[in-house]
Amino acid sequence: MKGRGTRIAAHVFLVVVTLVTVYPIVQIVGISLRPADRLYSTSLRVIPEDATGRAYYSVVFEKDFLLWLRNSAIVSAIVTLVGVALASTAGYVFSRFRFVARKFGLYSLLIAQMFPATMLLLPLYVLMKGLHLLDSMAGLSVAYAATALPFCVWTMKGYYDTIPRELEEAALIDGASYWRAFRTVVLPLAAPALAITAIFSFMSAWSEFMVARVIISTRTLYTLPLGLESLSSTFQTEWANYAAGSVLVSLPVVLIFLFLNRYFVSGLTLGGVKQ
Amino acid sequence: MKASTEKKIFPYMLLLPTVVVMVLVVAYPLVYNFVLSFKNMSMYHYYDARFVGLRHYASIFTQTELYWVFGKTLIWTVVNVFLHVALGVGIALVLNGRVVGSGVFRSLLILPWAVPQYISALTWRGMFNHEYGAVNLILKNVLHLAPIPWFSDATWAFAAPIITNVWLGFPFMMIVALGGLQSIPHELYEAAELDGAGPLGKLKNVTLPLLKPVLAPAVVLGTVWTFNNMNVIWLVTGGGLPADKTHILVTYIYKAAFTYYRYSYAAAFSVIVFFLLLGFTLAFMRHFKVTEAVFE
Amino acid sequence: MTRTLRFSVFLISALLLVYAALSGCAKKDDGSIAIWEQMDPEEQKLLDARLAAFQASHPGVEVTRLHFETELLRTQFQTAGLAGGGPCLVFGPSDQIGPMSTMKLIRPLNELLGEEFLSTFVEGSLDTLNGLVYAVPDQVGNHLALVYNKKYVKDAPANTNELIAVARKNTVDENGDGVADRYGLVFNAVEPFWLVPFLGGYGGWIMDARSGPTLDSPAMVKALGFVRDLRVKHAVLPKECDYQQAETLFKEGKAAMIINGPWSWGGYIGAGIDVGVAPIPRVSETGLWPSPMVSSKGYSVNVHCPKEKLPVVKELLDFLTSDENQLESARKIKMLPARRTAVDALGSIGDPFLESSLAQVRLGRRMPVVPEMRAIWDSMRPAFQNVLNGETDPETAAAEMQKAAVESIAKMKE
Repeated sequence: MKGRGTRIAAHVFLVVVTLVTVYPIVQIVGISLRPADRLYSTSLRVIPEDATGRAYYSVVFEKDFLLWLRNSAIVSAIVTLVGVALASTAGYVFSRFRFVARKFGLYSLLIAQMFPATMLLLPLYVLMKGLHLLDSMAGLSVAYAATALPFCVWTMKGYYDTIPRELEEAALIDGASYWRAFRTVVLPLAAPALAITAIFSFMSAWSEFMVARVIISTRTLYTLPLGLESLSSTFQTEWANYAAGSVLVSLPVVLIFLFLNRYFVSGLTLGGVKQ
Repeated sequence: MKASTEKKIFPYMLLLPTVVVMVLVVAYPLVYNFVLSFKNMSMYHYYDARFVGLRHYASIFTQTELYWVFGKTLIWTVVNVFLHVALGVGIALVLNGRVVGSGVFRSLLILPWAVPQYISALTWRGMFNHEYGAVNLILKNVLHLAPIPWFSDATWAFAAPIITNVWLGFPFMMIVALGGLQSIPHELYEAAELDGAGPLGKLKNVTLPLLKPVLAPAVVLGTVWTFNNMNVIWLVTGGGLPADKTHILVTYIYKAAFTYYRYSYAAAFSVIVFFLLLGFTLAFMRHFKVTEAVFE
Repeated sequence: MTRTLRFSVFLISALLLVYAALSGCAKKDDGSIAIWEQMDPEEQKLLDARLAAFQASHPGVEVTRLHFETELLRTQFQTAGLAGGGPCLVFGPSDQIGPMSTMKLIRPLNELLGEEFLSTFVEGSLDTLNGLVYAVPDQVGNHLALVYNKKYVKDAPANTNELIAVARKNTVDENGDGVADRYGLVFNAVEPFWLVPFLGGYGGWIMDARSGPTLDSPAMVKALGFVRDLRVKHAVLPKECDYQQAETLFKEGKAAMIINGPWSWGGYIGAGIDVGVAPIPRVSETGLWPSPMVSSKGYSVNVHCPKEKLPVVKELLDFLTSDENQLESARKIKMLPARRTAVDALGSIGDPFLESSLAQVRLGRRMPVVPEMRAIWDSMRPAFQNVLNGETDPETAAAEMQKAAVESIAKMKE
């Protein structure tokens, strides 16, 4: 049968791709274990001979890592909630309703993304100052939500498009309100898209640096990327700490992804419902 | 309240919050830049800039070397996005089949997205080191090939950030594709099989058309982001090695604004980039009919 | 419908509420004095201790510090300045005062601090633009010098011929695998900042008295040829050697000598290397000393800093650049002071690093602070890299640098 050969090939392919993908990450772990802040090494050894876990201790206990973590967690949580709530609703409207300026609305969402971001920072600062949102978590969250929304709305809209209309029309005929039809029939079916939207919104806030640098100028409000940057100077960067911090920063992302994993497993969500 | 009234109001109610956020944050910076592009704001006229008309636009279009850079930017964008999509969708398709330990693979494969870009780009730079980098050592010791002069040859120096950026970007496409694949009912595959379709036929007639609505926004935005992404090139090539030959269009904007403080010139340049990308997006969307629903 | 309405009202009011609530928390001007800096980690620690001491002796005064990477500091300070904000004090290398004063973001200090105060600083540590002082230095330096690993090099070479000989002797591939086990001389060979000392050693300089670039000179051709020979003819400098590779090789004991500045020396000692520091040796052909660029770092005052804060700012500046504090920096992180009396007291510390460092500074040349410098660096970089890669010869490269610099400066000023 064709099945066996293809299955082995598929596994070999995945193993090779995963090895190539993980190798640079292993290098980063190597940097975090090297003493005396050496970014590079002349040997291929992954774990250096003089390996030390000191950088991890130093980042967590001697820097404000936990504070940065808290700030990042708050901002990312707000942005994820706002992103999912607004994109799931707006996307639904763009998918199901025909109204004036619908296409215009869809396209204008994308407009901000096309403008080179570095040039938007100066007016963003002026704007945030005018709105009294400078140096605040709220300002940061609003800015991030605006960066994440275009992709999220479009993705939700695209996913709703693949869900047959008959499903909620049946519910409407049964006397449900539009909101109820959306909430109880369509939204549960869109779980995978909600998962994409959630992880994308989260990452927009979790790893963003430039906007945070412009908006935040108080050390107690630093997010993780700002905190990591504070470990570097023009020539003297604390590479071991930087790498250790980077490894720690990626762990929550992997955890969140593990949690969302079930929405990406075939057959669990839709399958038979769509007829 | 009447159902018809509800039908009229409902969509606007749901849209309103998104519109508020987007207008609040996006409108002002955009308008600001458009206005700025017609002024002469620079180091010498920081607080007292005045309107000078189309001067910057004229000067940009007459710089012939920029057309060459534009070509390079296109290569950078097309190669990256193509490989992101090909790898992302390919891996997602494999993972969506029956795979032992697929959860482990999925979690490991998103790592490039999870790790802060700054450190991973610099790590890749180290891996491209001529003498001690992992890539050349593997070429030399395992494959017995000549080491590659990654940062003294303009072509290889352009390949290095592309390799890095493909590594950085494919996990995102993989996630999007994985999510999109969940919306395809098994029955459609079964029906296609009954019609005698092989694996390729199923991919072409079932998978890709149904993946399109979810994948298209990711492709469009991926293109826009890649076109404007100079960070990876800058970090991997150490600011444009060799001899500024690896720059793309946005690098010129960045340099104009931050090395030479030519803010208005940079704004005009950004407006041009903006219209290039807008044109691409409109053409792409129209061609693939992305704003339309699938089942209509 | 009621639910729809309720939901929408909820969302909108939630947004408004979040906005209202948190904008209320946005920081108002609380009378504190902010400093934005781009210091190295060890300097930051010293500054924190000094700020604590200052606040202890000035009840009711709050001083905060915020760290930035150098380029980001400039960008962010300019952005904040355009909107009429930013910190009262900005700390950085002297070359940032060129653009910042041209943009009218920082104020001249002559009047605020008085000529008597300014006269306590050593000749040349105060940079002036149009005759005005824009920064109070707390250190002089930022200069490149020759650092050698005493395990391989007993005494510093006396001239460039010796330098090359020592470097050649120390470039070895013991197991013959094509990967050098040790290099003779490493440095950041992609940045023109490392070319400038040799330019001076051949009798040239980057600009004339009117800030016009003078890059297309016989000295530039010689200097480019010299560095190219280190790579190609003598092969003592690794291919594609950048800052991080040079650092790694030297810290791993795989390089006999490195050219680098005072900010890096502590790191070598920390990596367990027995290091010596000496001026970059005389150029054998000309008998001239190479002239690394010397610049000060210091504090500038934001034009938007409110008038009522200026008296405290003045006291703070006096304190941060005091003799005691500058000598403490000299002792602890080997930084050279900028005040006359502190420089005179330097001998009492008896640190060989400081003495070599001072010797090198006296052979160096002031880094110009005019805004044109940025265009000059940007124009030198690609031509320098082309020479090292064998793409162009030194003569062509020197001409290209000059042409690019003239064009870029004209564009900057248009």
